[in-house]
Amino acid sequence: MEKMSRVTTALGGSALTGRTMHCHLDAPANAISVCRDAAQVVVAGRSIFKIYAIEDEQFVEKLNLRVGRKPSLNLSCADVVWHQMDENLLATAATNGVVVTWNLGRPSRNKQDQLFTEHKRTVNKVCFHPTEAHVLLSGSQDGFMKCFDLRRKDSVSTFSGQSESVRDVQFSIRDYFTFASTFENGNVQLWDIRRPDRCERMFTAHNGPVFCCDWHPEDRGWLATGGRDKMVKVWDMTTHRAKEVHCVQTIASVARVKWRPECRHHLATCSMMVDHNIYVWDVRRPFVPAAMFEEHRDVTTGIAWRHPHDPSFLLSGSKDSTLCQHLFRDASQPVERANPEGLCYGLFGDLAFAAKESLVATESGRKPYAGDRRHPIFFKRKLDPAEPFVGLASSALSVFEIEPGSGSMSWFVDTAERYALAGRPLAELCDHNAKVARELGRNQVAQTWTMLRIIYCSPGLASATSLNHSVGKGSSCGLPLMNSFNLKDMAPGLGSETRLDRSKGDTRSDTVLLDSSATLITNEDNEETEGSDVPADYLLGDVEGEEEELYLLDPEHAHPEEPEYVLPQEAFPLRHEIVDTPPGPEHLQDKADSPHVSGSEADAASLAPVDSSFSLISISHALYDTRLPPDFFSALVCDMLRFYAEQGDVQMAVSVLIVLGERVRKDIDEQTQEHWYTSYIDLLQRFCLWNVSNQVVKLSTSRAISCLNQASTTLHVNCSHCKRPMSSRGWVCDRCHRCASMCAVCHHVVKGLFVWCQGCSHGGHLQHIMKWLEGSSHCPAGCGHLCEYS
Amino acid sequence: MFVARHIAADHKDLIHDVSFDFHGRRMATCSSDQSVKVWDKSESGDWHCTASWKTHSGSVWRVTWAHPEFGQVLASCSFDRTAAVWEEIVGESNDKLRGQSHWVKRTTLVDSRTSVTDVKFAPKHMGLMLATCSADGIVRIYEAPDVMNLSQWSLQHEISCKLSCSCISWNPSSSRAHSPMIAVGSDDSSPNAMAKVQIFEYNENTRKYAKAETLMTVTDPVHDIAFAPNLGRSFHILAVATKDVRIFTLKPVRKELTSSGGPTKFEIHIVAQFDNHNSQVWRVSWNITGTVLASSGDDGCVRLWKANYMDNWKCTGILKGNGSPVNGNSQQGNSNPSLGSNIPNLQNSLNGSSSGRKHS
Repeated sequence: MEKMSRVTTALGGSALTGRTMHCHLDAPANAISVCRDAAQVVVAGRSIFKIYAIEDEQFVEKLNLRVGRKPSLNLSCADVVWHQMDENLLATAATNGVVVTWNLGRPSRNKQDQLFTEHKRTVNKVCFHPTEAHVLLSGSQDGFMKCFDLRRKDSVSTFSGQSESVRDVQFSIRDYFTFASTFENGNVQLWDIRRPDRCERMFTAHNGPVFCCDWHPEDRGWLATGGRDKMVKVWDMTTHRAKEVHCVQTIASVARVKWRPECRHHLATCSMMVDHNIYVWDVRRPFVPAAMFEEHRDVTTGIAWRHPHDPSFLLSGSKDSTLCQHLFRDASQPVERANPEGLCYGLFGDLAFAAKESLVATESGRKPYAGDRRHPIFFKRKLDPAEPFVGLASSALSVFEIEPGSGSMSWFVDTAERYALAGRPLAELCDHNAKVARELGRNQVAQTWTMLRIIYCSPGLASATSLNHSVGKGSSCGLPLMNSFNLKDMAPGLGSETRLDRSKGDTRSDTVLLDSSATLITNEDNEETEGSDVPADYLLGDVEGEEEELYLLDPEHAHPEEPEYVLPQEAFPLRHEIVDTPPGPEHLQDKADSPHVSGSEADAASLAPVDSSFSLISISHALYDTRLPPDFFSALVCDMLRFYAEQGDVQMAVSVLIVLGERVRKDIDEQTQEHWYTSYIDLLQRFCLWNVSNQVVKLSTSRAISCLNQASTTLHVNCSHCKRPMSSRGWVCDRCHRCASMCAVCHHVVKGLFVWCQGCSHGGHLQHIMKWLEGSSHCPAGCGHLCEYS
Repeated sequence: MFVARHIAADHKDLIHDVSFDFHGRRMATCSSDQSVKVWDKSESGDWHCTASWKTHSGSVWRVTWAHPEFGQVLASCSFDRTAAVWEEIVGESNDKLRGQSHWVKRTTLVDSRTSVTDVKFAPKHMGLMLATCSADGIVRIYEAPDVMNLSQWSLQHEISCKLSCSCISWNPSSSRAHSPMIAVGSDDSSPNAMAKVQIFEYNENTRKYAKAETLMTVTDPVHDIAFAPNLGRSFHILAVATKDVRIFTLKPVRKELTSSGGPTKFEIHIVAQFDNHNSQVWRVSWNITGTVLASSGDDGCVRLWKANYMDNWKCTGILKGNGSPVNGNSQQGNSNPSLGSNIPNLQNSLNGSSSGRKHS
């Protein structure tokens, strides 16, 4: 109590003033200590030992204690401490093991008072008794602690830690006889100065060295320790066994720890390496520092609160040869900078949202943003010390799930799965896709498909009802445009088209009455060039070998074709896109040799007017008798595709691109197409739509895309009899001329998918094995193995 | 219409980031409590924590998934000045039986001298690359030359931004016409009003990242930044979370017109700016097609923004963090006229209009 009152007098009634400031020292500091008047600080290091006065605006060097011509090792300080009762008394711990006391009251220049040369190795720490004027304690690398009475020439008692080295010694502030010491092996010991024979208590506090400890200034039982394991632990020493009450995780080994005055739960730490910052922690929020001082450019070696009853001034010395005064209100506060929310959009339109609980609390009367969020928390705390701790934050995590059918991404999945992209005439594809889109409630998309059909297919096939629905964008600009244009204006635009297109174009630009004859001309044209009205792709189909036919599945055959659409062309299986050739240059050598399925539909469409000229005249004569060539629309269609892509519906862009194939491909540059394809494929893969994705890759005309699913697709098979690689065919061995992979169920050669049990290596046709294992769990080969099929 | 599903995250401090994986079936959260948790969605739609482990010795700011082609890989970054790459171990163990998976640290990236504030994997087509940014204003780009070896990362680029960085975003475009590009946001709060968003572009000729653009109009601290998924667009959309939500479009000016070899020039337009959060905006996130932007702010609300066909961005929904109805007062300035509890429908048609629906 007596001490308390004296301190207040020392404060002189007036509060401390000052600002964040620093001064350059001549050499790196090892330790600092503050005089009890809070107006002077002593800095000690290997080659520095000075006293600075702390003024309002700056540090002023007051006294250099390093005197004498030749520097003595006794002056190389590892630690320094200023007596908290006697303004003239200091003690230093020298690296050579000497403990020196200094009396500032001496009249001579040399203030050195006493020299204790009892330790054999570096003294790591010296500590004055908080209330006893003449008691000094030291802890050394040699493993001993010594208690000195300054009125005597040598130590009063020696304490042996029975351990390698002592890193810190601290007198308890409240227990007169007690001090704590920390050790390199992770132990903390509690001693009674009257009993040097053995410690009162010992416990392991850290993994690895305990570099520092500090008694709580108010709470008599609390001891904070810091270690190389990057942790600060707060121990309650009042209980029978030391109990860990708090544990703070820092980012580097803890070199110093100091409780913050007047703030029961705050402590300051600095690190021994890597990290140069000083942190102030609230031990109740052990993960995020409450404040951070970032002034130092090298390791901070000493920290001290300027006054034992003022929480806002912190002094520090560093290896970067600076002495700093930090003001708490200038500290950066990581808590305030930390992002209190996390937000992520899910694949299906669901949202994951994590937010600080105080932000989302139902009745949080949160004030609107007022410019500065960085109001220092400690002011708030000071206003009402009884206020419950609000710093410990937690977050509420929730996932907002979008209800099915109300705007999730399910439309994308459904559309991707149900769209038909190839294998049928263009008109049918468009109709099908329009239907799919309409069923999913995507009317604009449906309208677009319908319009595409009108543009590129014979008008007779478009149903009157769907035309009436054309009220979208297309009908307002597309169709009137078509009618208002004069054919003559069109002619120059057509000049550069390919031959096939030109012939088609001529056909369509004629009146309906001439249609049939024009078509005849077209056919003659084709006969001249290709020998028949079979499209160019047939030629490509012709050069294929025959043997793949057996086990390659034509997707086209999966769709039953309605009889009215069976045109001569369709009789030929369209196999070009499944040709088993690498994407070499010959694959794409000629644009006319379209590897595209629906490319053949162009010709189907060009023939169609003959069949359906009736309906033309009867139903939509006015609209279609001045029919424009599809090429006329290609610019419009390309714009439309770009529109969809920019609206985020790359699915539509790619689907139309595939369905229309050659008709629009040339009008969109390769890079854009490739971009669309990769984007769409990426999306499909996100939704695990592997089959659709593969189909798109297969149907793509861009070389960069079509090679995507041809990388690392080679399976190397070895003969099961002679163990030789089977080079030419997958099922017959060239050497032993035996069939390698026989189905265990039907005993025939398996030429396609071969499934086998990894346990007994028997197997066969996928279908057969599946069926077999439905009825029995034993191997069909009769080997007795219990096969597992998953 | 949204249904809030609350998850007892059981993190011991603030959660700073949540992240869905590529397929949307897994979620990772990271917190100041120095741990990362991985959540897997069950058949019934519940989220189960299948892994929780201490990742750093400081607050973990961000967590992000790599493309599944590279395995089940996460990256995290922390106040402890490191970023780390984690991989899930597949194998039979006791953990598996308890429904827990095991994650191992593959690498620690220790180049930063200050807090690493963001980490992002590059788009898949660039290979296995990772960008980090740190409070000292340096963006670092790492590459794993061998995608099978996640423990070897080489520092490819160091880009100095001069300002303390808070967030980064890769341009996700897979188009060959778009060079690799990264946007960096800064939360530097010093009063000198410098532009807080910088965009760097990779130059094939110099093989370096060079500054392409600076968004001069953004001068307040930026907390989050996100490029919209680019599904075949010729231009880029960038969302910025600062004291308000801002959406920019970046239209590349045709290469032929600019001097060859130099960085691409962009026509930059601000297409939307909303201060409806009435406070700092902390996060922005795009939906998968890049058509809806979600933002969250100090008001504890998530707001959804969508453009109509006229490229007019409007609020289409407000979600309160705890699932409770949104208070009418906090909605001032909102385009949605109906007050009280409403959680408007997300439109999937192109002409998105906000149709309010009563939420029970």
